Amino acid sequence: MLDARTVEARFSIADGYYLYRDKIHFAVEPAAAGLSVPTLPSGAVKEDAFFGRVETYRGSVVVNLTLAQAQPGQQVVIAAESQGCADIGLCYPPTMQRVAVPIPEASVVPSKSTDAAKKSWFN
Amino acid sequence: MSRSRRIALFALVGVVALAGGIGLSLWDRRAPDAQDLLAISLPDIQGARQPLSQWRGKIMLVNFWATWCGPCKEEMPEFVRAQQELGPKGLQVVGIAIDQPDKVASFARELGLNYPALIATYDTMEVAKPLGNRLLGLPFTVILDRNGRVAYTQLGAMKPEQLRSILAKLI
Repeated sequence: MLDARTVEARFSIADGYYLYRDKIHFAVEPAAAGLSVPTLPSGAVKEDAFFGRVETYRGSVVVNLTLAQAQPGQQVVIAAESQGCADIGLCYPPTMQRVAVPIPEASVVPSKSTDAAKKSWFN
Repeated sequence: MSRSRRIALFALVGVVALAGGIGLSLWDRRAPDAQDLLAISLPDIQGARQPLSQWRGKIMLVNFWATWCGPCKEEMPEFVRAQQELGPKGLQVVGIAIDQPDKVASFARELGLNYPALIATYDTMEVAKPLGNRLLGLPFTVILDRNGRVAYTQLGAMKPEQLRSILAKLI
């Protein structure tokens, strides 16, 4: 968590693979925690012959998720869906990944140092 | 086992499984069963239900694909060509799109698709697992001989020369 209301989600994409920007979706359980639709970073643009501009990500992509109504001390689950392909010429079904995130108690000051809790998404 | 080691092991298994799946070809008397594949019935773009069994007796090329899958779209012109040339000799290409009907219909129009485009969800792709596609990758092509036995499977796009040579042996 970057602060009491923001979760940093990082996709680590293996070499030779890429994810589609428009296939990345997030949800939170419970929905009442109030996940607002995040702005995804721009990806590399490819002109698809039939579908025009397609944006993809390689290497890593970071998305900040804001949970407007998360309660201190609450445990929420972030569900992330992604879909991508390998350069060898193969595409995968959508992948769903779920991570439990404890919302800090009100009295805890979130650390901004490198050991701040970050969930790393292996993909 | 530490989390990072577990992740590394998963990645290794994933790569090995993938490498094993790509270019899998079966020229084998003990050919895998195509019965589950032939039992499938799916709607076409117009919504009419199409059982795959209606094409029994043809050389069937069943291609699983999607409009969001670049490699899938790149190989399809070759299937259109093959259907045109070899249709009269008994080839039937059938596309199964893990996709939405309107997107499939648009792409089919653009390409001048001359074979059926059926609409499915990933549930339909369960039949692909015993045929060598455990990760449900796309594109995935299964070619059946005139007796309904699996003659060839390909995970990933097919090269034109490869397609021509396999079909030449079956026609």
